[in-house]
Amino acid sequence: MRRAWWLVGLGLALSACSSDNRTVLIVYSPHGKELLEYFEKGFEKAHPDVDIQWVDMGSQEVLERVRAEKPNPQADVWFGAPAEAFDRATKENLLQPYKPTWAAAIDPEGREAHDNWYGTYLTPEVIAYNRDAVKDADAPKDWDDLIDPKWKGKIIIRDPIASGTMRAIFGAIMARSIAQTGKPDAGYEWLRKLDANTRDYVLNPTIMYQKLGRQEGVVTMWDMPDIATLEQRTKIPVKYVIPASGTPLLVDGIAIVRGSKHPKEAEAYYEYVTTPQAMIAAADSFLRIPARKDIPVAELPQWIRDAMSKIKPMPVDRQVMAAHLDEWMKYWDANIRNRGQKQ
Amino acid sequence: MSVRRQSLVIALPVIAILLWAVVYPNAAVIAGSFENGLGHWREFAASPADREALRTSIVIAIASVFASLAVGVPLAFLLGRFDFPGRRLLRAVATLPAALPPLVGVIAFLFLYGESGVITRAVQRMLGMPQAPWQLKGVGAIVFVHAYTMYVYVFLFVSAGLERFDATLDEAASGLGASTWHRLRRVTLPLLMPAVAGSALLVFMNALGSFSAPYVFGGGLRVLSTQILASKTNGAMGLAYVETTVLALSAVAGLVLFRWLDRKRKYTLASKGGRQRRVIQSRKLQIVMSTAAALIVIALVLPHLMVILVSFARDGVWTTQVLPPEYTLENYRRLFSEAELWRPITNSVSMALIATAGNLVVCFIAAYLIVFRNFAGRRLLELLIVLPWAIPATAIALGLAATFSRNDLLTGRVLLVGTFWILPLAYFIRDTPLVASAVESSLRQMDASLEDAARGLGASWLLTMRRVILPAARPGLIAGGLLAAVTAVGEFVASVVLYTHSNRPISMEILAQLRALAFGTAAAYSVLLILLVLLMALAARSFEERLV
Repeated sequence: MRRAWWLVGLGLALSACSSDNRTVLIVYSPHGKELLEYFEKGFEKAHPDVDIQWVDMGSQEVLERVRAEKPNPQADVWFGAPAEAFDRATKENLLQPYKPTWAAAIDPEGREAHDNWYGTYLTPEVIAYNRDAVKDADAPKDWDDLIDPKWKGKIIIRDPIASGTMRAIFGAIMARSIAQTGKPDAGYEWLRKLDANTRDYVLNPTIMYQKLGRQEGVVTMWDMPDIATLEQRTKIPVKYVIPASGTPLLVDGIAIVRGSKHPKEAEAYYEYVTTPQAMIAAADSFLRIPARKDIPVAELPQWIRDAMSKIKPMPVDRQVMAAHLDEWMKYWDANIRNRGQKQ
Repeated sequence: MSVRRQSLVIALPVIAILLWAVVYPNAAVIAGSFENGLGHWREFAASPADREALRTSIVIAIASVFASLAVGVPLAFLLGRFDFPGRRLLRAVATLPAALPPLVGVIAFLFLYGESGVITRAVQRMLGMPQAPWQLKGVGAIVFVHAYTMYVYVFLFVSAGLERFDATLDEAASGLGASTWHRLRRVTLPLLMPAVAGSALLVFMNALGSFSAPYVFGGGLRVLSTQILASKTNGAMGLAYVETTVLALSAVAGLVLFRWLDRKRKYTLASKGGRQRRVIQSRKLQIVMSTAAALIVIALVLPHLMVILVSFARDGVWTTQVLPPEYTLENYRRLFSEAELWRPITNSVSMALIATAGNLVVCFIAAYLIVFRNFAGRRLLELLIVLPWAIPATAIALGLAATFSRNDLLTGRVLLVGTFWILPLAYFIRDTPLVASAVESSLRQMDASLEDAARGLGASWLLTMRRVILPAARPGLIAGGLLAAVTAVGEFVASVVLYTHSNRPISMEILAQLRALAFGTAAAYSVLLILLVLLMALAARSFEERLV
């Protein structure tokens, strides 16, 4: 027993002696270790009195943690989440409005009307496929190709309930149906056909990449930066197609958490990661597409310029989405999921 | 002071701690489900998806109990009663599944038995099949994983029971002419009932609230724990609270049922038990048993081997081959070049030790009181100690986050959210029933008259504790304490809700690596975690041996 207590003491001592005199600024972010480390180093060099500590987690997790910590906020900056999550956080009063110096460089749909959050990166949704298993010529070119019966049992997607990306795609399909016919029926019919072609709904993106790479399913829908990262930075054999008829263009944003204990440092970090240089660095090294409109196109990497010329943003009414998306997803979950004939 | 009075005085602080840490936060969750009157409950009742989820959760829980018993009980007998070549090795690896952190264990299964897994593809190649012979999904897949990870509870409890078991009773029955079957039915099984029931209950509760397996294999499957996640994601907190309450109610129903089954029988032993194993003499039987043992060993070790293999595999190149085609030390190099490598490890170890130390003290006192004393609050204490089982980890975490978010002495609130201490508290709560029931089942096999006898012979209360009660409780204390520490070190579900940067545990580091697509590094980290758990098990064993 005595030895156990000794270990407890040791553990406590170790966990206690980790702070120095710098101001600790806590950043919640899904952007991944490499990007976060890159900005951490740069920022700490410019601000030697600040110690950036980031916690890397999914954007949905960030929302849930910020929500849970509302009475005693731990985070200062929330860097990265689709607009839908930020809109929710805004509604729940979790964010601290801040107007960045570059506010004018963002389209109105790329920001919150009362400065609760601003867009940083753009994430177009794409169709991706395993390039070992599917020839480029055979790959689906547009959303409607996905419901062709030839893909029966070959599509693998993330569980749409848990994924902001999939919610955006499903929402766009439904919004298209409303815009064309005024009714949701055609959209539900489309989703029913997709369900019939879907082999599996995966709850976790990493496992989905793995299954796609290992040909458990050969076609998926996902966001372009992630697929481009897989294509360029890993050996997983994937490729993507930008849907011909248009694609939902999601905005990924940044915000200061309401109740942040270091608002001044938080604002400095906010500004630091959104300068034009930072945007270009993120595009070059981490395959992010900047949301700021004032960045000279010539300075962006070639693949982004190519992609941007092909992308036709799908007009998505954010009001309609906010009002109906939950209802559509609920209907899908209860009445469509797994109802299609599986092989 | 009368004995009843004295019991109550000892029990009060324990009851107070449990009321504060377990009941208080969860009352908040239940209150939350009624925030809209009966509105959220009506929504739940009207949802076919939720009804299906409830049904599936219960089916999975019951199937997991039977599967775990089917594996755990025979294995405990095999190892506890017989001696044959390979027994020591089998004994050594029997508890290995507990050393796989929940999320990693599930992913190892995916790599082994998934549609593109090693075993699946090997079978497919061997039989020349055009398609994978099976798919790892649905209820079957989840029960399969549960049987592997949860049979350990059954095995440990039943083994501890067998250890206290007096072989002379069996011999006596045999001498009186009872057949083997008769002996098993009338002597052995009744005496093991507390252990079997206790561990079955544990499996039931764990399977009911299980998150990792449905999270990975779930796909189209609906269970309550993933429904809660979905509701939370959709921002429907009210509905999430209802789903959490329903899950808790199903667990309470199971709890009542098991307790009732358990209460019907009471057998105790007056002796300290003996450890006799039958040495298998027949050459043929020896071979059969050793072969069976070898097969079981392989099955038990495979997931660990898979994790080790992946930790050396180059990420991304393993596509359609049976085994990863390229190997590298890169994953480990990356791991050890990380400046913050040891932080999550020291965090997890110190938090697990703090939680377990608390568990051992509180649960020993509670189990002693429940088994040997009769006093006004006994029923309440019994209920409180098993209550955390009835509450899924997500709900425990949600309740803690809601309750301990500010300092308010009047309402007994302390600011713990965002501090180091919230996770040890969560681990303590989660493991309380585990440790208590292990100690209880050890103590139940001791005859209550032994304590009176010691006191009657003039031993002081302290001496009686030290020389009679503690030794009787020891197998349970060690088994329960070890399991608690191991669970806490790899804990995932509550941690993911409550951790902060100051107490970031190992499971969160593994999750971050998985998020970054670094399966190899995640596997390397898991290998470290498995080594850590083995180290703890070794420490516990040497501790046990020194005491004997």
